[in-house]
Amino acid sequence: MPKQQPGENLSRLPRIHRHFLTALSVVVFASSALGQSTPDHFVIPDSVQTVLDNRCMDCHGSDAAEGDVRLDNLAVLPLPERLELLNRAQDQLFFGLMPPEESEQPTSKEHTALAVWMRSELLKHRASKLDEKLRHPAYGNYVDHARLFSGKISDKPFTPARQWLVSPQIFHERVNDVFRLTGRARQRSFYGVTNPFVLPEHSGVRDYDITTLEGGHLLVMLSNAQWISQKQIFAAVHAGADRRQVEHPNPKDRWYPSESPTAFVTIVRKETSPTDPEMVAAIHAQFDCVLRRDAGDGELERYLPLLRSTIEIGGNAEGLRQILVSVLLESEFLYRQEFGVGTPDEDGRMKLSSFEAAQAISYALGDLGPDPELQKAVAEGRLSTPEDFRREVIRLLADTEYYNGAVDPGLSGKNMQSHVTSHPKLVRFFREFFGYPGAVRVFKDQKRSDGYYQNPSRGTAGTPGFLIKEADRIVDLHLQRDEAVFENLLTTEEYFVYHDKDNETGRRIIAEWTEAYEQLKDTDWKTDPERVIAENLEFIQSRKSLRILGGKQRREFLRHMYFFGETIGKGRTPFTTVSFAHGYTYNHSPFYNLPPTPGIFRYGRIEQKNFKGLDDIEFWDYPVDQPFKIASRKGLLTHPAWLIAHSSNFHTDPIRRGRWIREKLLAGHVPDVPITVDAQVPDDPHRTFRERVEGVTQNDECRKCHQHMNPLGFPFEVFDDFGRYRHNEPLEHPEQLISKSGNRADIFKTRSVSTLGELRGTGDPKLDGKVQDPFGLIDRLARSRRVRQSIIRHAFRFFMGRNELLSDSQTLIDADNAYVDSGGSFRAVVVSFLTSDSFMYRKELP
Amino acid sequence: MTTRRRFLQTGLCTAGAAALAPGLFANEGANKPPTRFIFIHKGNGLFPKAMVPPSLSREEMEKEDRKESFEVSLTEHQLPEWMRPLEDHKQNMTILQGLSGKMCTTGHHTWQSSLGVYKANERLSSIKWATVDFELARLFPSPFEHIELACFPHGGGNARGNINGIEKGFSARGPQRPNYAFGSPKVAIQELFKSVSHDKRDQIKYELERQVLEFAFGGQSNRGRHLRGVEKLKVLNYADSLQAIRERNQKVDAMADVIQQHVPQLEKKFFADDISTTDRQVGHTEILLSALISGMTNVVTFTIDELGTRYTGIPTIENENVNLHDVGHGKGVGSLKAEEVREKLRHHHMTLVDKMVKRLKSVPEQDGSMFDNTVLLYFPDNGETHHSHGTEWPFIVMAGNNVRLDVSGKYIRLPSYGQQGHKTLGNWYTTILNAYGHPIPHYGALDTGLAKYGIDQSGTIEQFLA
Repeated sequence: MPKQQPGENLSRLPRIHRHFLTALSVVVFASSALGQSTPDHFVIPDSVQTVLDNRCMDCHGSDAAEGDVRLDNLAVLPLPERLELLNRAQDQLFFGLMPPEESEQPTSKEHTALAVWMRSELLKHRASKLDEKLRHPAYGNYVDHARLFSGKISDKPFTPARQWLVSPQIFHERVNDVFRLTGRARQRSFYGVTNPFVLPEHSGVRDYDITTLEGGHLLVMLSNAQWISQKQIFAAVHAGADRRQVEHPNPKDRWYPSESPTAFVTIVRKETSPTDPEMVAAIHAQFDCVLRRDAGDGELERYLPLLRSTIEIGGNAEGLRQILVSVLLESEFLYRQEFGVGTPDEDGRMKLSSFEAAQAISYALGDLGPDPELQKAVAEGRLSTPEDFRREVIRLLADTEYYNGAVDPGLSGKNMQSHVTSHPKLVRFFREFFGYPGAVRVFKDQKRSDGYYQNPSRGTAGTPGFLIKEADRIVDLHLQRDEAVFENLLTTEEYFVYHDKDNETGRRIIAEWTEAYEQLKDTDWKTDPERVIAENLEFIQSRKSLRILGGKQRREFLRHMYFFGETIGKGRTPFTTVSFAHGYTYNHSPFYNLPPTPGIFRYGRIEQKNFKGLDDIEFWDYPVDQPFKIASRKGLLTHPAWLIAHSSNFHTDPIRRGRWIREKLLAGHVPDVPITVDAQVPDDPHRTFRERVEGVTQNDECRKCHQHMNPLGFPFEVFDDFGRYRHNEPLEHPEQLISKSGNRADIFKTRSVSTLGELRGTGDPKLDGKVQDPFGLIDRLARSRRVRQSIIRHAFRFFMGRNELLSDSQTLIDADNAYVDSGGSFRAVVVSFLTSDSFMYRKELP
Repeated sequence: MTTRRRFLQTGLCTAGAAALAPGLFANEGANKPPTRFIFIHKGNGLFPKAMVPPSLSREEMEKEDRKESFEVSLTEHQLPEWMRPLEDHKQNMTILQGLSGKMCTTGHHTWQSSLGVYKANERLSSIKWATVDFELARLFPSPFEHIELACFPHGGGNARGNINGIEKGFSARGPQRPNYAFGSPKVAIQELFKSVSHDKRDQIKYELERQVLEFAFGGQSNRGRHLRGVEKLKVLNYADSLQAIRERNQKVDAMADVIQQHVPQLEKKFFADDISTTDRQVGHTEILLSALISGMTNVVTFTIDELGTRYTGIPTIENENVNLHDVGHGKGVGSLKAEEVREKLRHHHMTLVDKMVKRLKSVPEQDGSMFDNTVLLYFPDNGETHHSHGTEWPFIVMAGNNVRLDVSGKYIRLPSYGQQGHKTLGNWYTTILNAYGHPIPHYGALDTGLAKYGIDQSGTIEQFLA
């Protein structure tokens, strides 16, 4: 991808947003004074009145009030109505919906004048709804891309002073911290703790700083706090006791932390009321457990009388427990605090305190709080400068142990465990960006997949779970290689499929199996398996990968031999886990257009008297060394997980796929479907799904938006809604039925699919243009500077927890340059972000 | 912006709106009593054949066997033997057959499925939206909003650990937000009636809780005062939530006299840790009635049993510890065949339903009784049998004279799975929600397997709204 030149303007977005964003930056961020003034002295400046008269009153004056909107009587409207109307007008102007396309458009000067005036009027009363809207993920791309990367923005970057709700993962780790658990003592789950947080399900960055604690969170936290505090008190009461002798109120909930703060032990064991110093020590101890700091003087002044009172009423242990609950209910436990400290600089910005900075760095890179080294840097005053930040970030990125863990524990079930890696959070950015984990939420008709697709069910994430894990592995592979990461993720032809063992282990297993099969295939294993086992017992026992021992060894031996016979015996390598292993659920190779592997029941009847042999099936010649190349696939956009995530229950979804590319890769935006539109794709027994979509979106009103999506999504019609490559589409309509089938998909007549599409919006004439298929489209996207910068923008949102502002321009340019200069290192991007002013500085907004 | 098409394609529940605005859709007059809802669900399936009145004509019975749609008046028919306790309430009763629920988790354990109409499992992430009982609770606000009681399973894939405690229940407040249920009459009374408890320890506990909430509210309010803009709102909103709980407690305190009158009067055995399953059910029934009659809540959900519930105290086999899973696989208990055990359990359940109906009928309310404004639903949590597929989901509906559903005194069989006009669990709950003013287009996930029959799965079952 070519490097961005400062000042270069690649914008193809409506200029209207650029004018408006000028207004935003002028009014919102440069002038907080406006927000201080509240008197309702309403005057429309002459320059604005002229614009309203010339551009708006024809349709929204006293004679015509289209859409029941009048702008001629603004001055006489009561304040609430006026503010509501101004908010509506501001939205229309910002999103380019007014004046209508067919009308004469205002000049840029007129547009800016109108926008600035509206915003100042709304901000006078702190009533602008647009600002709130623009903080949401869906509006990230409304900040003009070309201006962001133009190099012309001189505003100093900052993040608004804020409280950022902890993610579900961070919450869980904070509970571990409350109990001061370290290393292997840290728990994967707690019996009595329900995670109160859930991230939104949309594709794209999900963890923003816009979420607010509400009643539902509190209800869950009330019960969590009860359970946690009971365990803390239980641990204090039984400190030093023989754990085997301890009696538990609930025999099925026997866990409790092995250590308890001394201050708690002192109070619960004391037979008289504790002294003030003892109570102060206990309050400090709980602050340290929960909030990782001592209580402040003001906090002690509040907590101490409460503790005295609760102990008087409930006794030492129960009284102390109420304090533990109270600290657990502090909003600071659930919000990450980032306010900054010190004297504001000339731009009104304050640096994060070293305590805040340590938390911010650690939670940017993982789910755990600061490690001991980072805490030491805080204690020694070595976390202040960009160099300090850089040193710690690079150190933590090189640390393969501290954050090591599962990418998505939610995927783990009885038959599969989530992929584990050194920095799960880095993988999580890409899985959120691409949105492929959404595959678990799309339910499919199993029969249409020839019976291979397993929907998520009890204890298993089903087929999509396996596919998502395999996509995670690709992401992790390229993060570990850390070269041309974006390009490789978009264009790689190498995939992981099944691969439940490392390459070396896999090779060893296959060598042993092959050796065993070669040695035993010519024996009487079918007719006299017991004798063959007995004669070769030493050999079998010496091959660890052959599990043919115990009471069922005859059956196991036969199963192995049949399994080897129709794989190794036919010159194919078998998958390195036998299909008759307990809980075996590997069925999903067909979704990569790979041959199937034997199912769990295939060898179930081999010992039955009426067993006539196995039907001949061409099983997959399994590649032990992975990743490996798969034909007709290129990058994550052709991975079945992504394709399923961007499909519906029964169909592909070219519109959503196209929209994803427009928004995520091209930094563009498409308005939501108007509320008046019943956007249904009509049934038609004779046309493909693409043809039906084209038919229903070709009128002018629909085309306005669909032209930004459909041509980007249609090339992916070469994959069906299960992610299988195809040339022909079955016309799944009763009129086209050829034959019904029991457990397999019914057979329908087919039509060939068209994969033609068009790429527009890269800003590069060499890349924009018609494409023949998804592979050509992907190749061009991977070469696009705009695509690279769009990914950088989304990464910014992930690590900062918010949409970018124009003032973040320098941060984004620096990160982009870091990526290019490093040959495509994502870690370089992360370092750049976490040492930027956007990350280090906070500014209080009105 | 969810269009109808997207709604249908994704099968999403759009009931969230009600969750955001409790009572927004309630259109009851100020003086009109609220409608109460009792959801009772059982494990191990409910055989459709067990629901059929034995006195159906030959022609009707043939239709029943072919699972064709028909409807008869219950007043002209005998109830199945196990339903006899409801004999006096036939006018207020409907047996509803023919609904399907293949969009739910089926088989042994189903978690929130039968109330939420989606595939739920042990993972909280599988909870897609608020279950129907919570949607209704928000239409009829009350101090406690909703109360859930459960005879928790002891084992199996759905084990709750402490069956006497407060554990995750079978209802859900919203996406990924399970509700909590009281597992024993003892813990339920301690928690629900603590404000009027005469027990010193309960009084202390209540006072401590009150102090902590007051302290937390004060602390967060103070914290909010030092912040600005959206950050201030983030903390004050939390403080408001604390205040809302305090206000709920205050309302309950203000109702102390009424609550005091209705504190369940239970014998000592109902507070024992080794309480039998049937006593646990009786105890929960008393609490359910007290909570409704005192006005603490308008909606109660009661897990009367679940497949993993170990049964003790079954009449005539009181000393047996019955494993429902074994019964589901046809294993008898002592001299009783599996089907006879099932029948005994259902009969016991009906005695409890009879008790509820009679008690509510005895409480005067305006020109009638509290039962006039009550809907009771008895149904399986997993469909038609032990290893269910969700092709059928039988219901017994008990309803008073003022309810907005046309369900009095009928045996109704709807078109079976795949037939034109077939209806699902989602349609049934949509009907109830619409009848009570929640204008949701459809509640629950859609059944991907029904699409091939060309059946419109969304919306209500019109005949009940007549």
